[in-house]
Amino acid sequence: MRQSSVAAIVVACVFSVALARADETCMSPYMAKIVGQEDFVYVWTLGVVGVGDEQDKLVTIDVNPKSKSYGTVVATVSVGGRNEAHHTGLTDDRRFLWASGLDTSRIFIFDVATDPAKPKLVKTIDDFVKDSGGVVGPHTNYALAGRMMLTGLSNNKDHGGRTALVEYTNDGDYVATHWMPTKDNLQGAVKTGQFADGYGYDVRAQPRLNALVTSSFTGWNNYMMNLGKLMADPAAMKNFGNTVVVWDLHTRQPKKIFDVPGAPLEIRCAWGANHNYCFTATALAPKIWLIYLDDAGQWQAKAVADIGDASKIPLPVDISLSADDSLLWVDTWNDGLVHLFDVSNPHAPKQVFEQKIGEQLNMVSESWDGKRLYFTSSLLANWDKTAPTGPDLQFFKLYHWDGKTLTPAFSIDFLAAKLGTPHQMRFGAYALYGEKPPAQVSQN
Amino acid sequence: MRCGVVAALLFAAATGSTADVATAPVVLAPGYFDLEYPAPTPGTYALPPLRVAADGELLDERGAPHHLYDYYGDRIVLLSFIYTTCSDVNGCPLASFVLKKVQDRALAEADLRDRLRIVSVSFDPAHDTPAALGAYADRVRAPGFQWTFLTGRSEAAIQPLLDRYDQAVFRDETGAISHILRVMLIDRQRRVRNIYSVSFLHPDTVLADVRTLMIEDDKGTP
Repeated sequence: MRQSSVAAIVVACVFSVALARADETCMSPYMAKIVGQEDFVYVWTLGVVGVGDEQDKLVTIDVNPKSKSYGTVVATVSVGGRNEAHHTGLTDDRRFLWASGLDTSRIFIFDVATDPAKPKLVKTIDDFVKDSGGVVGPHTNYALAGRMMLTGLSNNKDHGGRTALVEYTNDGDYVATHWMPTKDNLQGAVKTGQFADGYGYDVRAQPRLNALVTSSFTGWNNYMMNLGKLMADPAAMKNFGNTVVVWDLHTRQPKKIFDVPGAPLEIRCAWGANHNYCFTATALAPKIWLIYLDDAGQWQAKAVADIGDASKIPLPVDISLSADDSLLWVDTWNDGLVHLFDVSNPHAPKQVFEQKIGEQLNMVSESWDGKRLYFTSSLLANWDKTAPTGPDLQFFKLYHWDGKTLTPAFSIDFLAAKLGTPHQMRFGAYALYGEKPPAQVSQN
Repeated sequence: MRCGVVAALLFAAATGSTADVATAPVVLAPGYFDLEYPAPTPGTYALPPLRVAADGELLDERGAPHHLYDYYGDRIVLLSFIYTTCSDVNGCPLASFVLKKVQDRALAEADLRDRLRIVSVSFDPAHDTPAALGAYADRVRAPGFQWTFLTGRSEAAIQPLLDRYDQAVFRDETGAISHILRVMLIDRQRRVRNIYSVSFLHPDTVLADVRTLMIEDDKGTP
């Protein structure tokens, strides 16, 4: 009998991953997982005036230590302008990478399957605002079954924070808009606290529990404003999200709105069979929050740990939950630190490690085995630091984690390399598509 | 064992795998168990059209040519792309398990039986000849329910259909197949209304969606 060429398939995805054994742990559960050595990291990079071609671009970095080009940029694809490049996401079959721009609301779709070493821009969605009925600032590109769920950050009426989820087919055809519940239109959701702000940021699913969880940041008016000017504007500083919403995944109907004050950003849901919870971190009030199903089967939210010294405004940004749900990496942008929390008891996380990575630190992606951590530096074009200049300002860095120490492997200075400023990372591997790296092929 | 979406646990259905993978526990998909949450109430939610369901020429179990559209329009359709030698427990066997449950329910509920059809299309025509598909059909199809099995004339002939349904299928250098499991719900207007992957394919939710489309049809909703 012919056997499926499955070296490692993750329950949530039924997608064969021949001899591919690694991937970041924070992807959609609908997606194939690489649980071994990734071949590439795709870095969605902001164009910077005076740096290289000044355009946003997808940068492909070879990260397979067996490759001759290990540690180097092997491809770049510029997209013809600056869009406030921010987040990316792979379709559930991992053939396409969606990369969105917060300013122009354009979405760029790259083919990463035909040649994983050389992504190709195959489609650009220019009508996101029109198609969605006024949503602005596509942020998270999250794979669901045969489709992509995008979060918005803003709207075209007042460019504030009220926004929606927007659904597309994998082909890039618009499907539906699901507006965030507000105090004026709860859409049947239960408002559990003070806020129902209608803001958006990230989205993650817990299919087993039929749950979709969204967080909230701020609108175009704020995220495109100079950070110093923003922080000096008390009125503008009031316009940040304070909510997490739990939705019915199947029906796309909001169910419960929780107060999570201080701009809850990235959401990471646990993988374990009986782990009925997700984490998020609030940027402006540096805390880890737990969104969890209680013993009565009701969703709840509570702050479970402080992150850094709040008086120094550490600004928690990206988080990464280990594959076994025991560890949570937390980047704090302002001080450039990565914090590691033991979250084996999700109700009482304990910080067990801390290390400075750079002058500023935004995204973190870890391999499935937790042994490799990739970091990038850029937050937003108008918020990023510009000094002190040097290799620790705008970087892509790989570290190895042995359970006790983070050891640097290699670093790429994105400004010196005339690439721009690096943001979201996604992993690629030949084995996802039944292929072997060229070098391995030639050896056989 | 009750399980859910547990990405940390890996299937052992592997060839050439290393020891830790080979010994990893097999975690069955949610579709094999009772739903952990109440199924949605039919007619209380929307299933926005995803795309026009594509047509294509295929062969039935007797080798006779048919258009896929021959099976669309008069009934709601559940379309599944399969290959009969798939040994991944959470691949085609999951689809067959769930669709057999759907079939059982339809046979017990006359309105479902009369308004629903399952169409399973093989993307491995070299092995899944009409005769082989017929033998497979005999093992899963119950009398009195419309479950059609179709195959292509060749891999090349069926590839455009797979592309139009966004059905990824890969073959490695040995010819071994890997694919992403997808079952699609197609309305009487020949539109794809939902797509189910392994963590989402469950008879209770599928039937809730089928009944939602039936309610639409009864209301004359376009």
